[in-house]
Amino acid sequence: MKAVGARLPRYDGIAHVTGRTKYVADQSAQGMLACKGLRSPHHSARIVSIDTSKAEAHPGVFAVATYKDMPKNTVGHLEALGVPADEPYLAEHEVRFKGQLIGGVAAIDEATALEALDLIDVKYEVREPFLDIRKAFDPGQPQMTEKGNVFFYDPYDHRKVTKGDVDAAFEKADVIVKGSYRPSAIEQAPIEPQGCLVVPESDGRLTVYTCTQAMYFTMGVLAEHLQRTPGSIKLVGGTVGGGFGGKVDSATEPLAAILALKARRPVRWIFTREEEMLCGSVRASWHVEMADALTKDGWILGRKVLTLHDAGAYTRFSSYGATKHSFHLAGAYTVPALRTRAYVVWSNHVPTTAMRGFGVTSASFAIELQMTRNADVLGIDPWEFRLKNANRPGDLMPTRKVLEDPSTIDTIRACAEAVGHPLSATYRDMKNDERSGEWLPPHLVDQAAHAKLGDPQEAAR
Amino acid sequence: MSAPPELLTPTSPAEAAAAFGDGAGVTVMGGGTILLPELTYGRLRPERVLMIGRAGLSGVDNANGVVRIGATTPVGELQDAPEPLVTAAKHVADREIRAVGTIGGNLCATGGVSAPRGDLQAPLLALGARITSVGAGGEKTEDVEAFIEEHTGRLVLSIDVPGGQPFGYARLDRPHTHHYTMLAVSAVKGADGVRVAASGVGPVARRLHGVEKALAGGASAEDAAGHATEGLDLPTDALASAWYREQMLPLLVRRALGQLG
Amino acid sequence: MHLVVNGLGHEIRADGLTSLLRVLREELFILSPKAGCEQGGCGACTVLIDGQPRRSCLTPLAALEGAEVTTVEGLSDGVDLAPIQQAFYDTYASQCGFCSPGMMMAATALLAHTPDASRDQISEALEGHICRCTGYVKILDAVESVAKAGAA
Repeated sequence: MKAVGARLPRYDGIAHVTGRTKYVADQSAQGMLACKGLRSPHHSARIVSIDTSKAEAHPGVFAVATYKDMPKNTVGHLEALGVPADEPYLAEHEVRFKGQLIGGVAAIDEATALEALDLIDVKYEVREPFLDIRKAFDPGQPQMTEKGNVFFYDPYDHRKVTKGDVDAAFEKADVIVKGSYRPSAIEQAPIEPQGCLVVPESDGRLTVYTCTQAMYFTMGVLAEHLQRTPGSIKLVGGTVGGGFGGKVDSATEPLAAILALKARRPVRWIFTREEEMLCGSVRASWHVEMADALTKDGWILGRKVLTLHDAGAYTRFSSYGATKHSFHLAGAYTVPALRTRAYVVWSNHVPTTAMRGFGVTSASFAIELQMTRNADVLGIDPWEFRLKNANRPGDLMPTRKVLEDPSTIDTIRACAEAVGHPLSATYRDMKNDERSGEWLPPHLVDQAAHAKLGDPQEAAR
Repeated sequence: MSAPPELLTPTSPAEAAAAFGDGAGVTVMGGGTILLPELTYGRLRPERVLMIGRAGLSGVDNANGVVRIGATTPVGELQDAPEPLVTAAKHVADREIRAVGTIGGNLCATGGVSAPRGDLQAPLLALGARITSVGAGGEKTEDVEAFIEEHTGRLVLSIDVPGGQPFGYARLDRPHTHHYTMLAVSAVKGADGVRVAASGVGPVARRLHGVEKALAGGASAEDAAGHATEGLDLPTDALASAWYREQMLPLLVRRALGQLG
Repeated sequence: MHLVVNGLGHEIRADGLTSLLRVLREELFILSPKAGCEQGGCGACTVLIDGQPRRSCLTPLAALEGAEVTTVEGLSDGVDLAPIQQAFYDTYASQCGFCSPGMMMAATALLAHTPDASRDQISEALEGHICRCTGYVKILDAVESVAKAGAA
């Protein structure tokens, strides 16, 4: 065990500081063509026609591609997990977000590729976009799909977590505190824009230099799109110049590959900064409404949560994100009665995806602001309010798991000490033990480890 | 693939004026900080580019209280210019951009795709700068407000500003690399009264005539600031909403006026 | 056009409005300067032009008549590292590494001019450089360590 606890130099450190680390844009191949993607200028529109003839005839253009060139255009990232595929990689009969990819060009250089894009004639019938997810159930709003604006988890149109008797908790409460929390969409914004270089080899295989964070995932998605065996694709990763979740969507590989196959030449496509910021998938914006039932001496008796998650134009990983979010809505605290509903709502925004702490940061954001708000209303120190309600070993999580080793109490106490926030003696000396004594009031008796868990179906009703 | 643009590289102001002609079909490049990205992204495909960086149009000269600033003086080399130009210039982008971007380019800039540009326009408006330019009809000198309003077909040669006048400057920025100035107010007390101007209020900076009129009529700074948003169509962009700018502009006006003493 | 890069002269074929960044990367295959935004907004493309830190994505070739360009490749032979390179390595100032070349060149220019630069001065000099990985503290630490050694 020489490495654990030791201060080891980065294995790529020397390459980084000598400028020798290779990123995908540092890869090149002889005869390489430049690719540019044609993107929708509209939030929502029906595509009436696409005419690529002038672009194809433009001097210096080697290939133009639309959805007709993609062997399997609609591939679901999470089909294996039961999430139906709903997104055409290249737009077919409609566009659902500004910046959506419609087609692309491979040309002798970028300037020529950009000129050729201008020559692709797309006729649109612009539609009213759906942009406010709070109106998810309003039939007067534009509908993203025939089945409406909300993803269906089967058998419900939302993820739900139910624990204890929330109605009773709200009945008993001295104070109800409500809050509405709306973390914005965030672009991962790595300094390296995403991209790839696809080389069609003479033996029919493809070599794909890619910046993906998820090599096998991208290989699988690409193989599906191209209807090839994964064995016919060799993926070469390099150092990823920052990903943070924004380089898992295999955004560039399918188009570059189809153009490379058509042109029979290597094709490199690197996003511009504008594409990265405006068209690359983002962390979703969320709308979280929270209501906490409190006693005037600072116990949380129960919590209700309604979450709307903005999936953007297509599902991608959103159903998974909302599931993760739902499990975290008690936070680092014990909330004996909980009822949460999380809806995944499609909108004409850029499709959303993973970013560090996918689904959970939105829960933490809402919870921590709510906790401080609770403390403010009750006139209690916000640190002590958190300590009072902190989860402890032996407590029951909303997922019915018994907590073995939470560190909430120790962490909050350590932070208070580090910043010099004074705590009263009770909290300063609080121990991270199973509930007993003053930390085991009647309403928390069935949260403790010795309680019987009961029938889960009963609890869900 | 189109032919590359013709490059004109004059080495004197006279050569620059001659090469510019009436400006038809000519794209002017000072430092290139605004133009290069437009070329790289394929948004501009000029036929002729006039590079004036080495045409002897740079420098700050002080003569009898009037400071003459050459059009291609880099934003980072304005330390001998009058205030509030110096302070405003310190907040433009970062040192690498300031070393190259020119005051002339800043003066002629209109709003970027997602955020305002031309941070020096408001100080120049407040200073009552006089702009000397060439173009159709030859050389002329005009007030900066008229120039900003209409300068098609004009090539800026120099900017004259009065020195040593009481000034105020208040800005609002977004903490970020470059500290984009989302809203800033410049105020200068000249011989004929106080001039007040704001940047970040639209595609170009604007003089706040409502504020100036109120001050001329004897209003307090507080009351005059109440006229801050008159006649403005405040933008919502990547930096701030129109609503936020509307709330903050009177505050910045009050602060800037408060510094005039 | 003749261009000297890292002490070596080259005859450049690209037209005068091509950015220095593209000349370096696509014609000379000097790959350390990076295209993070090609708008002058991130600093990943910063190189030294006559010892001054400049955005190569904003510098047209035609403006470089007689200039000498230095990139990371010119800081050392890659084995005996320059102090700034050693500092970045020792201090873990580089995570994904994409912003590092620009950071190191800006730092090199600062320290050449102000060998005992304070942390505030370092911060101001690197103001235009974005890092999405490190949170900047270790980058400032690395540059400061070179400044302190220089002051010693």
